[in-house]
Amino acid sequence: MELFSQIIVNGILLGGLYGLMALGMGLVWGVLNIVNLAHGALIMFGAYALYYLFSGLGLDPFVGLPLAMLILFCFGYLLQRGLLNLIVRSALLNTLLITFGLDAVFAHVAQLAFSADFRTINPTYAGNNFQFFGLTIPLARLAAFGVALLLAVLLWLFLGHTRTGRAIRATAQNLTAARLYGVNPRAMYALTFGIGAALAGAAGGLYGIVSQFTPYIGASLTAKSFVIAILGGLDKPLGVIGGGLVLGVAEALTALYLGPTYTDVISFGLLVLILVSRPASVFERA
Amino acid sequence: MKIRIIFIVVVVLALLAGVPWYGSASIVQFGIDALLTATLAQGWNLIGGYAGYPSFGNSVFYGLGTYGTAIAMAQFGLPFWAGLVVGGILAVLCALLLGIPILRLRGPYFAIATLGLAAAMGAVIANLGIAGRNNGLILPLFRGDALFYELALGLLALTTLMIYLVSESRFGAGLIAIRENEDAAAVMGVNTTLYKVMALALSGFVSALAGGIHAYWITFIDPGSAFDATLNVKMVIMAVFGGPGTVLGPIIGAFLLSAISEVLAAKISTVAGLFFGGVIVLAVVFMPKGLIDVGYGVRRLGLSYFVQNIRQNRL
Amino acid sequence: MTASEPKPIFTARGLTKRFRGLTALSAVSFTQNEGEILGLIGPNGAGKTTLVSLISGTLSPTEGEIEFEGQRIDGLKSYRRAHLGIGRTFQVMKPFPGLSVLENVAIGALFGTGRGERSRVRARERARACLDFTGLNHRADQRADALGGPDRKRLELAKALAMQPKFLLLDEVMAGLNPVEVEEVIALIMKIRANGVSILVIEHVMKAIRRLSDRLFVLHHGEKIAEGKPDEVLNDPRVVEAYLGRRRR
Repeated sequence: MELFSQIIVNGILLGGLYGLMALGMGLVWGVLNIVNLAHGALIMFGAYALYYLFSGLGLDPFVGLPLAMLILFCFGYLLQRGLLNLIVRSALLNTLLITFGLDAVFAHVAQLAFSADFRTINPTYAGNNFQFFGLTIPLARLAAFGVALLLAVLLWLFLGHTRTGRAIRATAQNLTAARLYGVNPRAMYALTFGIGAALAGAAGGLYGIVSQFTPYIGASLTAKSFVIAILGGLDKPLGVIGGGLVLGVAEALTALYLGPTYTDVISFGLLVLILVSRPASVFERA
Repeated sequence: MKIRIIFIVVVVLALLAGVPWYGSASIVQFGIDALLTATLAQGWNLIGGYAGYPSFGNSVFYGLGTYGTAIAMAQFGLPFWAGLVVGGILAVLCALLLGIPILRLRGPYFAIATLGLAAAMGAVIANLGIAGRNNGLILPLFRGDALFYELALGLLALTTLMIYLVSESRFGAGLIAIRENEDAAAVMGVNTTLYKVMALALSGFVSALAGGIHAYWITFIDPGSAFDATLNVKMVIMAVFGGPGTVLGPIIGAFLLSAISEVLAAKISTVAGLFFGGVIVLAVVFMPKGLIDVGYGVRRLGLSYFVQNIRQNRL
Repeated sequence: MTASEPKPIFTARGLTKRFRGLTALSAVSFTQNEGEILGLIGPNGAGKTTLVSLISGTLSPTEGEIEFEGQRIDGLKSYRRAHLGIGRTFQVMKPFPGLSVLENVAIGALFGTGRGERSRVRARERARACLDFTGLNHRADQRADALGGPDRKRLELAKALAMQPKFLLLDEVMAGLNPVEVEEVIALIMKIRANGVSILVIEHVMKAIRRLSDRLFVLHHGEKIAEGKPDEVLNDPRVVEAYLGRRRR
């Protein structure tokens, strides 16, 4: 029983981070209708950004995190403005391909720039735990979980309760109508992609604190983000965090009861099942 | 006109078939790989290019063909041709069973569901005793690159012939109608479910045969290589690079990209990957409809063809 | 055309369609006679297009049954209904955008009534004839998405005609056309009927529908509120109120 609760707790803590990873992907998908296969690579860039802020400038990771997010925001904004904007109305297949191509470019650039060595962001308190009703809670993971929740709530407030947030949602619903109300869709798209990249940056930074990373972590993180974004309902931040928790716990339980080789069967089986069983109308907007 | 085309096809085929006699061993090996990849791109062309359902899970069929052949030969001692049959049947069954629910999904949801299937299928096989779990299977050794080369060439030629016949048929017209507008196709009398499932099954069948040939040639298979997810993206990119929904586009795309990455991989693999990614990005921006369309478009519009493409797709 | 003994070709009984609690159509019944032009009008959101989609099989009804040539068809998928001889146009036009105008129409000939032509050559011939009929022949080789509004309407019509339907559903084929173009389409529809096709015309343009229809019925908030001769129906106080009430809003 204790093992079971511990596994659940681990799953939840990891799930929060998963949710944060998917947050940016879901947002970009929901608003721009681009399934960004380079999202995992942006997460990877976030991890390296924080790594160099930490090891190069000696910033505490949780202090450096907003900076890493800012760097990724600028990168994402420019990427959308300069490149993705050229194909944003193209067929789905083309947006999938171009972001896949970008993923390959990013991964290889990262390897050339940062080398393929394993890295971690390792502050002095990284290994600290505390006990809570007989459960072991790793401090860094709990903090990462908290940051993930905080960012999701902030995004939710931003989308629902600010002028710009509402303009973004209007753009997602209907481009022409948004234009009529004086919203500049090009700016909104770039802003949205920037925010998505910033969230990926945050997820990457936190990932780097709790786990090892290389330039090649992107692809599998993209796949996970993908599953979670769908589970959670794309640009609904709280839903996406929920989706992350579901996947985190499901993976933890699968690893415990069936063995770690089955985690992919479960997460992707879950994905296919959800897609097939939900009527298409749930996804009408895409 | 028609006779001239047939003549050209025969000459090209004869030249290609002669490669094992005048080419080096490494060229033959590269040829087998390129021909099988082109077959995969061509198989994808049917469901992705003609029917417009962007499958990112055709590796499932390739993997089933690989494993069907390997299990039949390694576990039951059946001959190679029987293995191919087993693999082909497995793939067709899978396409029929999974196709019906999955082909109800549209756009990105279909793409993602197929991607998920590919991942799940690989993991299932990795846990199956008869498939050798994670350790994979070893097939009887058969040395004869020339034979494998001719087999791969024959498979590609037959697949392309099939695509050509489909493109000229009522079935092909129905698939294109589905791609262009599925609702309209249905009210005009196209049995959309049947057509989509048939396209997926045919696509799966040729992919499985390619997998079977590859398995016997390479003699060792494991879940990682048979259900390699990057294979999905690779075949899609090749087909789209050349021209999806055309008879020859996917072959041209596959040969060109295979050759480029072969040349580059011989140097530095990182640079090769970088270049490959860059090519894809540029191709999507400048020639979103593939090389074949560039041919027509440039003849018609000159260089402004590229500007027009960007203008059409940007915001 | 002789009104001597109207023979029903299509009957709807108690058709109801609800979308997640929202009732788009409630208990609508009507009969279409062979060789007849039946008009259907109603304010926006009255459920006209929903009704057409139920008939063509694009949507399936929550309740009710439909019969075509004496056979229940409400369980059939839309392609089967097309094979039986039901053709429709879409109000929101749905061409095959990447195909040429001729190829668009040829799809109708390849797959329509009686499962269409087997050979693509003959389908193309039939498509040419339909383009002649609708006056689109000069644009046969252009891409469908290059057509302007009026020509798109013609294309919709040609596509449906190529199916050689027995029962043709025309969903607002005159909306957005200028008076001259409306006249042309009216003449076309008359010509189609002269070939023995039964036609259900859904329209907003009152003047046109008054001239075209043998009979007329009116939907309002998903319910049938009137039916009969065009002049009677259009003077019916309930119909006037439905339209005027809408105008006042």
